[in-house]
Amino acid sequence: MNKPEKKSSIWTPVIASMFLGVSACGGSLETTGSDPIVAPPGSPPIGPPPPPPPPPPPPGGQESPFATKISTSHFLTQATFGPTPQQISALTGTNVSDWLLGEFQKSPSYNLDYVINFTNKPENRDNGHISYIGLQAPSYSFWSNAIDGNDQLRQRTAFALSQILVISHNKEGSTLYKYPTTVAHYQDILTRNAFGNYRDLLEEVTYSPAMGVYLTYWKNQKADPQSGRMPDENYARELMQLFTIGLEDLNPDGTPKGQETYTLEDVAGLARVFTGLSLNSDGFFRHIGNVNAQARYSPMKIFPKHHSSLEKKFLGTTIPAGTSAEESIDTALDTLFEHPNVGPFVGRQLIQRFVTSNPEPAYVARVSAAFDAGSFTLPNGTKVGEGRRGDLKATISAVLLDPAARNQSNRDANTYGKVREPILRFTHWTRAFDAGRVAPRDRRDLLDVSGPNALAQHPFQAPSVFNFYRPGYLAPGTKSGAAGVTAPELQLVNASSSAGYANFISDFITIDPYRKNKAEKRSFIPDYTDELAMASKPDALLDHLDLILTYGSMSAETRASILKVIESVPLTNENDKNYDGPFTRVSMAVVMIMTSPDYLVQR
Amino acid sequence: MTQSRRKFLMGLGAAGVAGAAQLSLQSALTSFQSASAANTGGYKALVCVFLLGGADSHDMVIPYDQSSYDEYAKIRKPLLNSYARAPGGNSRARNRLLKLDPKNGNRFGNRKFGLAEDLKGLHTLFQEGNAAIVGNVGPLLQPMNKSKWDAKSVERPKRLFSHNDQQSTWMSSAPEGARYGWGGRFADAALASGANTNPDFTTITPRGNELFLTGKDAIPYQIGLNGAFDLDVLKKHRSKDYGDDLRSHFMAQGFTRDNLLEQDIVGFSRGAIELNELFNESLKSLVPIATQFPDNGLGKQMNAIAKTIAIRNNLFMKRQVFFAAIGGFDTHANQANRLPGQLRMVDSSITAFYRAMQELGLGKDVTVFTASDFGRTLAVNGDGTDHGWGSHHFVVGGAVEGKKIYGDIPPAKFGHAQDVGHGRLIPTTSVEQYAEPLGRWFGLNNSELVDALPNFKNFQTKKDMQSMLEM
Repeated sequence: MNKPEKKSSIWTPVIASMFLGVSACGGSLETTGSDPIVAPPGSPPIGPPPPPPPPPPPPGGQESPFATKISTSHFLTQATFGPTPQQISALTGTNVSDWLLGEFQKSPSYNLDYVINFTNKPENRDNGHISYIGLQAPSYSFWSNAIDGNDQLRQRTAFALSQILVISHNKEGSTLYKYPTTVAHYQDILTRNAFGNYRDLLEEVTYSPAMGVYLTYWKNQKADPQSGRMPDENYARELMQLFTIGLEDLNPDGTPKGQETYTLEDVAGLARVFTGLSLNSDGFFRHIGNVNAQARYSPMKIFPKHHSSLEKKFLGTTIPAGTSAEESIDTALDTLFEHPNVGPFVGRQLIQRFVTSNPEPAYVARVSAAFDAGSFTLPNGTKVGEGRRGDLKATISAVLLDPAARNQSNRDANTYGKVREPILRFTHWTRAFDAGRVAPRDRRDLLDVSGPNALAQHPFQAPSVFNFYRPGYLAPGTKSGAAGVTAPELQLVNASSSAGYANFISDFITIDPYRKNKAEKRSFIPDYTDELAMASKPDALLDHLDLILTYGSMSAETRASILKVIESVPLTNENDKNYDGPFTRVSMAVVMIMTSPDYLVQR
Repeated sequence: MTQSRRKFLMGLGAAGVAGAAQLSLQSALTSFQSASAANTGGYKALVCVFLLGGADSHDMVIPYDQSSYDEYAKIRKPLLNSYARAPGGNSRARNRLLKLDPKNGNRFGNRKFGLAEDLKGLHTLFQEGNAAIVGNVGPLLQPMNKSKWDAKSVERPKRLFSHNDQQSTWMSSAPEGARYGWGGRFADAALASGANTNPDFTTITPRGNELFLTGKDAIPYQIGLNGAFDLDVLKKHRSKDYGDDLRSHFMAQGFTRDNLLEQDIVGFSRGAIELNELFNESLKSLVPIATQFPDNGLGKQMNAIAKTIAIRNNLFMKRQVFFAAIGGFDTHANQANRLPGQLRMVDSSITAFYRAMQELGLGKDVTVFTASDFGRTLAVNGDGTDHGWGSHHFVVGGAVEGKKIYGDIPPAKFGHAQDVGHGRLIPTTSVEQYAEPLGRWFGLNNSELVDALPNFKNFQTKKDMQSMLEM
């Protein structure tokens, strides 16, 4: 079997011309339409100034991200928790606009019901408390939805958002560790708003008990001049630094202007806003362990008595003395949300999560233009987004369909790409080989994958509000770092975690086929049926694996070195009745690909 | 991966681990004899213990004389009330503090200080003369006080009060995005002087890619808590016909693509195989350390560092810098219930480590020091404290001129010359002034210190700190 040819040239001119249009209009692309996605191609824009003309229909009715199996696999690598062979076949030759619109319409896979049920099961309780296994319910729910969820783009977007609006239920030093329903409630906020609006998301996050507890502004009281007590500044600071505007004024393309966004006084002023919130119970000071179950997964409540009645000044906004908590929070979130930094600040990080670690400024500018406009025109002419600043459908579409994400010439640059997140490597393997059917409690090694002996990354368990890695990370002592190429995920890669990941993933990939027969209930048993059929034809096997794991991008050197090993693995061994040559060949090939630089860097 | 590391590794490939070890020993001796600038005699190691999150040193070094304590207790009343409600009662009551008797106590007039009872091991080391306190340390570009702050007459360090940036500034004199830490630059100086034959095991951490340990030549090497990580799949198939081919695949030996991220991954993968094999081979000859380490996050790291120091000769190391860290100090809330346990972890881990170094006969050759994002407000926000700036730190080891308080401990009140508001301390000793005696002890000369500590030139040398470590 020959390697399929790469055919990206059809796509290039179409998308490029379209994006020239968008970027020319920049941040001024405004619409007021409330009808999000049903506008027919070519329908006139609502409100000035005029948006770009809809792009011409793609040649032959074929849209390029799904033009070939290779391009389909590449797109799905960016947009999902990993392409499956079935999906690659089904989508190749179809229309990416339809796919995106379909994803936007799919009903969300949520977490809270699962977590409530799971933690209520007698086997997950221990003396009336939730057991250690039970406390991991949010992780199980995450794995289930990421691996088996039909709403892949939504789940992937929620996961990306979880790395900007960070909470963590890691065991070390987080109160949330003991409250899985609070975590699940938060997971659902991200899931529900993944295709909503960033302003609405900020508000739900602000009132969420998870964020309240994680950034310690539940039970936060107004200042007391008598004792010198002042409001807790934690949320005020991180809301600005990490969730909305960042530390430096930005140009629309994400490059810094060289001026800090806020001062100590702004933090103190904003901190007054986030006083008077606590869990939805009868007592402001009630601990989360001491409220009824529902309050742990309901929005926080305002206790006016504890809210600061002083004037609140920050970032040039003044909230007059005596303003209520609700109104103050509204004004504060509006002020932050309208700051011109938000588009490039959030947009650049979303690009990093889906496409590339060190996006060129023009790419960031195009994505922040979509964020600002709240609107984006798909290749088939359909406009997505409600035309309101902060629309995430528009923003995600802009991230995924940008020429910088699609064109081979961009992707060939030696500064392009991202180290695949370890969590995504694992989900990719389960999806590529249909190893889902997630009953993670059968795999004790999934209870905690945060260590360097596992994935060095555990969903919703970052070590701090600064996530697993920083968006501006330059890896010390590396070539990318020396070239000034930001590479967040490299923060997780080192001599320990490289070996640890290889061991962890190999353990799943090479699961002993005979052990499998003895324990059918075990989760994550891969189905290598298709691959085993190719075991005696290593070239065909590698073509197949190259498509589903590395979207046809494996280097000739890597392919040759894998081939050399695979061809040396005997198919039979007369001296060992239990020897399974085909399985050894297949599993070794998967291990070697999934630990190769070709795989570990997504381009 | 640096050029020198690659050269070293290329030599290794052919000779195998044992052969390479012998080769390195010979070249180590040769280089040592030709050492120039830095002092490379004997063995010396620096160990940074970083308290992530911004440790509240107002809650560690506490005023002890009655009138200062009363002022402190008044300001911290809401927090002391929480302490009173905590299990075990108010551990910050004056009569429970561990009184310090510094040899240079007259510097502070009538003011006396005590340590929180959670720091009893450090208190003992202090009183014995093997630990010192350096008060009010923090990032500064130039000397600063409140009037200079208000007048904006002196440039402020960038991004004050922000966790990630101040961690970075402590480690490297610059906010997030910095490339070199001063631990790494100290190691560079030692390497340039030929103390170690290769950079590979010169800076080591049981954690991750630590900026503090990154120099131009020195790159942090990561160990596990029980040795380095082996690659299981290579071990499993080593004896097979294709064992060698499998190894060269994992070494990405033929890989030529020029993508920088791919190249970096190749570098890390090779390191994970070759260095880990070499490290674990060396670890086989470890004579077990009898000193017991506490079974907690930091204790395990310090134990791993102690074991690494114990095999220093097998790794041919004469100068090493280590980095350990533990999170959980960002006590915006619930400080009375969270901080004591954190402090006990730090205290028991550093104390055990000091005893282990004594056991190895290296009490005077290894110096431990603490660091943290920042101190915290003296003002209380309910049941916690907020981000500050300057903070008090510990330097521990047999070489330390101990039982002394270096630097300053500003009074526990508001409105003084070093209070930028709410008792956030404007540092009186810059991080680079804190680092300087450590570097000098480590063997750096003046020009190497200036290289490693870019703002040091803006400060007067602290006379008393010149004798903080016995050379």
